[in-house]
Amino acid sequence: MTPDEIKNKLTEIIRDVLDDENLILDRETSANDVEDWDSLAHISIIVAIEKEFKVKFDLYELKPLKNLGEMIDLIQAKRTN
Amino acid sequence: MVFNSFSYFIFLPLVFVIFLAVTDRYRWLVLLLSSYVYYGFILKPILLIALTAVILVTFLIGRLIDRSEDRSKRRMFLWVGVFINLTLLIYFKYLPFLVHNINQLCVSLGIDIAFDKPLLLASIGLSFFIFQAISYLADIYYRMAKPEPHLGYFALYISFFPKLLQGPIERAGDLIPQLKVKYELNYNNIRFGILLFTWGLLKKIVIADRIGLYVDVVYNDVHSFTGLPLLLATYAYAFQIYMDFSGYTDMALGSARLFNIELTQNFNSPYLATSVADYWRRWHISLSSWIRDYIFEPLQMNFRNWKHWGTALALVLAFIISGIWHGASWGFAIWGGLHGLYMACSVFYKPYQKKLHRALRLEKTFLLKVWQIFITFNLVSFALVFFRSNNLKDAVYLISNILYGKNGLNAGFLLSQGRLELAITMGSIMMFAYLAVNIFSSNRINDFNRKTSFNRYLIYNILILMVFFLANYSTKKTFIYFQF
Repeated sequence: MTPDEIKNKLTEIIRDVLDDENLILDRETSANDVEDWDSLAHISIIVAIEKEFKVKFDLYELKPLKNLGEMIDLIQAKRTN
Repeated sequence: MVFNSFSYFIFLPLVFVIFLAVTDRYRWLVLLLSSYVYYGFILKPILLIALTAVILVTFLIGRLIDRSEDRSKRRMFLWVGVFINLTLLIYFKYLPFLVHNINQLCVSLGIDIAFDKPLLLASIGLSFFIFQAISYLADIYYRMAKPEPHLGYFALYISFFPKLLQGPIERAGDLIPQLKVKYELNYNNIRFGILLFTWGLLKKIVIADRIGLYVDVVYNDVHSFTGLPLLLATYAYAFQIYMDFSGYTDMALGSARLFNIELTQNFNSPYLATSVADYWRRWHISLSSWIRDYIFEPLQMNFRNWKHWGTALALVLAFIISGIWHGASWGFAIWGGLHGLYMACSVFYKPYQKKLHRALRLEKTFLLKVWQIFITFNLVSFALVFFRSNNLKDAVYLISNILYGKNGLNAGFLLSQGRLELAITMGSIMMFAYLAVNIFSSNRINDFNRKTSFNRYLIYNILILMVFFLANYSTKKTFIYFQF
């Protein structure tokens, strides 16, 4: 999967969890930038990502992530393994 | 050394003068030694030993974690570091409570064993700096921070006296870099620091301590009251504890500001919160973000396959821990548990709540906001009953009698200190409210420096006069959060 495809899928997931079809997200977006992205939304997004991309995350991998771009890179790295 | 004591009024300027006098190379040392002197003033040498132990162990383990490449090795070192820190905290703060309850359990189970009750050791400050040490180790483990190579700066990071006794709990990434910046005399910071300190002092000795007199009358003798006094005393306590703790925090931030250090904000108009979740983003922010990052998030991650139930359980556990952090009593555990329950419930009804507001066309209206603030304040006050009550029996009595009783609407306890004292208290609160809204509100306080010097000096004089003449000197009251 290309990074762009991953980004599109991620946007779809986040829009679905936050119930906002108009959200625009880019590589620099972080949770703080988006209204209503609280800790409940956050874990729902993580679980949805795990299901969609068939990966399993560890808090150790997630904590240092700073924005969507780094999440995309992480997903890509996990899928190539 | 309490912030509202004459010793501190001499200590702080003295430290500042010495700090200015030495060359920049040794300023960290001045602050570190001062912090030890500050902590030593409590006259409990064992605390200085505990502080030193925490500093040395955490410093060492931080390096060990960072030096290991292997993740399971890093995790092992993290657990060792956390274990040592927690054991120290438990030993100083929770052991008598644990032993007492184990003994009670043995009695009720018919087991004929009774452990000797250990002495209750003072633990002032430990809860704060041990949590800070744990955050340091966790941040290194999670690769969010690098260990500090210089033991002196690290020791200062843990022991820095403005935040040593009651926080804020500072993250390494926020405080350590500031300690290393070359100090340049900043007249604005000095002025602002002194102003903030005085404002905090006012909150504490004029407002909090005065309100406390009335709260104590009721809470120290609940069975003599029913109805309105119980309600009023509880609401009053909500304000007392806010003035007390935010007053302390202002004094801490003001002290640090003299040295060009900006400690983290601990409060953000908590009683304007529109939900309990919002309240925790506004009250004791440094603790709740610590609980969120190091207890809640790992738990929530672990429980993530249980959907909303997983998050709900993580919240309840995290808040019970937060309650127990405050002290070794069932009252604190229940207080925490109640907040956990509030938050857990919101996990389930939040999606429906939004739909309901939309359907009733109340979304984003002023009326809804007022309602939400009112409800949240009452939920918080209800939980505070368990926080403040001297024991569980009192708390249960209070809740059961808050609406009933033959002297239901009698607020006679307000005259317990006499009419004059009541008038002075009311007057002080009104003056304070005026100053708070018009001059010291968070969006106005930065404009303070732009006021004309006449206005500024007028305000300084008002503050100083208020502090001297309106302070409650009748009882020597320590800060509420001192005991945590």
